[in-house]
Amino acid sequence: MSVDVVVNEEDLAEVAGEVWVSYLDPDGVSPLVPTGDEKQPSEVHASVSISGPWTGHVVYASSTEAARKAAAAFLAMDSSEVSSEDLCDVLGELANIVGGNVKAMLPPGCLLSLPQVVLAPESATKYPNAERISGLYGVWDGEPVSISMWQSRDDKNEESA
Amino acid sequence: MKILIADDSRVMRQIVTRTLRQAGFGDHDLVEAADGKEALDKATAEAPDLVISDWNMPEMTGVEVLRTLRATGNGVKFGFVTSECTPEMQQQAEAAGAAFFIVKPFTAERFDEVFSPILG
Repeated sequence: MSVDVVVNEEDLAEVAGEVWVSYLDPDGVSPLVPTGDEKQPSEVHASVSISGPWTGHVVYASSTEAARKAAAAFLAMDSSEVSSEDLCDVLGELANIVGGNVKAMLPPGCLLSLPQVVLAPESATKYPNAERISGLYGVWDGEPVSISMWQSRDDKNEESA
Repeated sequence: MKILIADDSRVMRQIVTRTLRQAGFGDHDLVEAADGKEALDKATAEAPDLVISDWNMPEMTGVEVLRTLRATGNGVKFGFVTSECTPEMQQQAEAAGAAFFIVKPFTAERFDEVFSPILG
């Protein structure tokens, strides 16, 4: 069984908007501003895998500075106090929250993995047999942040079969 | 009252704690568990009045913890704070005896709405 892609950039922006309002920008003064720049650099990333009727990955990537700011906001501390452990935990939680909300937009029966965090650019992680199908690319206080969806190529093949 | 917060994410346990404070429930005794097995153990040993649990955790999922508690006759008020929210999960939670289902990201207003009737 396979499914059509149902999560697009607007859907990802809606999820991101909720995360920003709840945790990263509760005062509404520093939202994530979409740029559409798929080639923007990243320095750290976290992902969750989804398996079932839709199979693939949801990836949250950003600069280290944006991750540090996110950790500071999540943990209510100054960004200069953020440790590597804080950074990893917050990146994982961001991937988990975004992935969980994305899963809710997919057909029933999908399973969500625990998050994987990599303190290296998004390009350092390869997703075999998967291709990027949608993404939200933007800047937060001038720092790059992206959320992208990678779909298993086997799924894509079945769709066109 | 004693509240057990079960989540494998240290960050999310902190955020749940902070949001409880923001919602006016900061005076309660808070206990934490970092995975499903620890949640089950502490739900028994600590005898909390309320368990706020993640769904997807190592060792045991939150709903497995809830089912095990109910199977052993433990009727503690138990609910979920999770990033995943599908109708099938909500049905499973309800069938297992969950008292609430909060989706991440959440606000202090949402906590107040859900926990005021429980915590007073």
